[in-house]
Amino acid sequence: MANAFVAAFEILSFGAIIVLIVLGLGIIASMMGIFNFAQGEFVLLGAYITYLAYAKGLPIWTGMVAAPFVVGALGFVLEALIIRRFYAAPIVAMLGTYALGLIIRESVRGLIGGFYLTVPEPIGGSIDIGAMHISAWRFTIIVITLLVMAGCYLLLSRTSFGLRMRATLENPSLARASGISTPLMYGATFAFGSALAGLAGALIVPVFSLYADLGLRFLIQGFVAVMVGGIGSFIGPVAGAGVIGTLSAALPWVMAPVVADVLVFVLAIVFIKFRPQGLIAGKGV
Amino acid sequence: MPKSMGAVKQAIPAEIGGETDAVMGSSGAAAEAVAGRKILPIVEGVVLVAALLAPLVLQDYLTVFATRVIILALFALSFDLVWGYAGIMSFGQALFFGSAGYGVALLARDLDITNIFLVLPAGTIIGLTFALLLGGFLLLGRHPSSVIFVSLGTLTGSYAADRLARGWYYLGGQNGIPSIAPMTLGGYEFSEGPPFYYLVLGILVVVYLLCRFLVRSQFGLALAGLRENEQRIAFFGYKVQHLKAIIFAIGGAVAGLAGSLYAFHEGFVWPNMVGVVVSTQVVLYVLFGGSGTLIGAVIGAVIVEGVSFWLSDNYRDIWPIILGLLLLLVILFRPLGLISFVLGERERVGSFGAKIKEKRDAAP
Repeated sequence: MANAFVAAFEILSFGAIIVLIVLGLGIIASMMGIFNFAQGEFVLLGAYITYLAYAKGLPIWTGMVAAPFVVGALGFVLEALIIRRFYAAPIVAMLGTYALGLIIRESVRGLIGGFYLTVPEPIGGSIDIGAMHISAWRFTIIVITLLVMAGCYLLLSRTSFGLRMRATLENPSLARASGISTPLMYGATFAFGSALAGLAGALIVPVFSLYADLGLRFLIQGFVAVMVGGIGSFIGPVAGAGVIGTLSAALPWVMAPVVADVLVFVLAIVFIKFRPQGLIAGKGV
Repeated sequence: MPKSMGAVKQAIPAEIGGETDAVMGSSGAAAEAVAGRKILPIVEGVVLVAALLAPLVLQDYLTVFATRVIILALFALSFDLVWGYAGIMSFGQALFFGSAGYGVALLARDLDITNIFLVLPAGTIIGLTFALLLGGFLLLGRHPSSVIFVSLGTLTGSYAADRLARGWYYLGGQNGIPSIAPMTLGGYEFSEGPPFYYLVLGILVVVYLLCRFLVRSQFGLALAGLRENEQRIAFFGYKVQHLKAIIFAIGGAVAGLAGSLYAFHEGFVWPNMVGVVVSTQVVLYVLFGGSGTLIGAVIGAVIVEGVSFWLSDNYRDIWPIILGLLLLLVILFRPLGLISFVLGERERVGSFGAKIKEKRDAAP
């Protein structure tokens, strides 16, 4: 019983981490039609900023708060300078963002060297429920993920900012005719997606420790999750991330980890092949 | 009558070139190239002569390095066929390269088969088979697959293969398969050095000529049309998905050949060889050199590897950053690669089928 509970918690917390990472990726892919290969490096940057705050002796949470804003600002600048030129051609966008990601990743590698740097958990210890112990920080991640998900949903569906964003992405020329500054909205969307990646990086760095290939590890999982969930809506990628995250965490409990690792990808690709629109089809929030 | 025939034939390449021409704008000296003066054969000739002379002037350890570069150029050729000519973004080309490498490494380790006439065809067939399986699955089917799906599907395939190779004890896990026996021809062993270099160069030249023939045939014309406007080609009655699957499989076979040569040249295979790192590396070569011209892929491989070899002594840490910056600049400002500095758009697109030139000249 206790074991099953711990397993369920592990699966849930890994699922939450994947959802957190995919949120930003999904918003950029769904709303802008761009698969951002640099997203993993935005995660890495968020983690690096958190590490910097820790290394400078500041409380860790200051780094975690700063990370989304810094990475979001960087995303805004990059969109205005570079990404903007790629909207017409999705494949070129992949290559261009890959190049950006390469630059960021290797810069960070140059700064931290080939090490694995650990950052302690801001909320340490464990929560005891009877005889069972679960990590307090992983529990916090689950809670924050739920809050961020709800926040994003409300932002996109209930605010005028969200409305303008969706209008821009659905029909740019009509949005422009209605007086919405579409370049600004594209920039804001990209910055928002980047900020979410930065937040994800900041939150997961105590769990996975900081190394240069941290973002790369999650990038492909994120892409697969977005495709499984379905591009075009907010909820699709989130659902896909839940499925992929849960599967990746659950399968190793029942079979050899190597087989499980590969099986998740194979299953996902077969699923997408036969249901290209994904789990949740359609546009909107 | 002959006059109108000539006009029709001429219109085909011009129209295909038209769409990208507008994007490119002026391309310097290349635009001035007169129809009669061909630059492409000159470039190819210069590269070939340089490659033939290289071992005579290079020191031994540089010849070994040059051999590796030639093998990678062969690999780049396979990606250029798929992306540059058919417009299929294969982010998993290393899957075919690496699986062939692993395949021949296993043949050499477990069955003691190192005969050149057995291992190279075996590697080619392994690459072909994997490409047929993956390409058939991703490209064929009732609904045409989206570009995004194919590129992410190949990327995922390569990543999954990497994970499998890392975790599978039979394949050596993280360490791969070390100390593969050298390739043999009768009693002769191919070890690193000039003979291996000329062997690889010979194979590259043969494959290059075959590819050149292929992309300049009617099949190549259909491919170029596919790249520029898929729907129009479909309306002409071509089975677009079949064309794509065929060229994808051919690309996989070439990659497999390159992979088996690489495995024997380096003497070991390791999981990176099937993974995302090598897959993106080959994309870099072709983008740098210039996609859609076979020689561009070769030049790109030589330049990227050469500069990285040269810089890595002193600037090992910042070289990948420079590479990223250069790549970004090329994508933004020279989408057709470095070769577009010397090669005009008309020549890049080229002419297709046999004897078009004579007919064009005949028409006044």
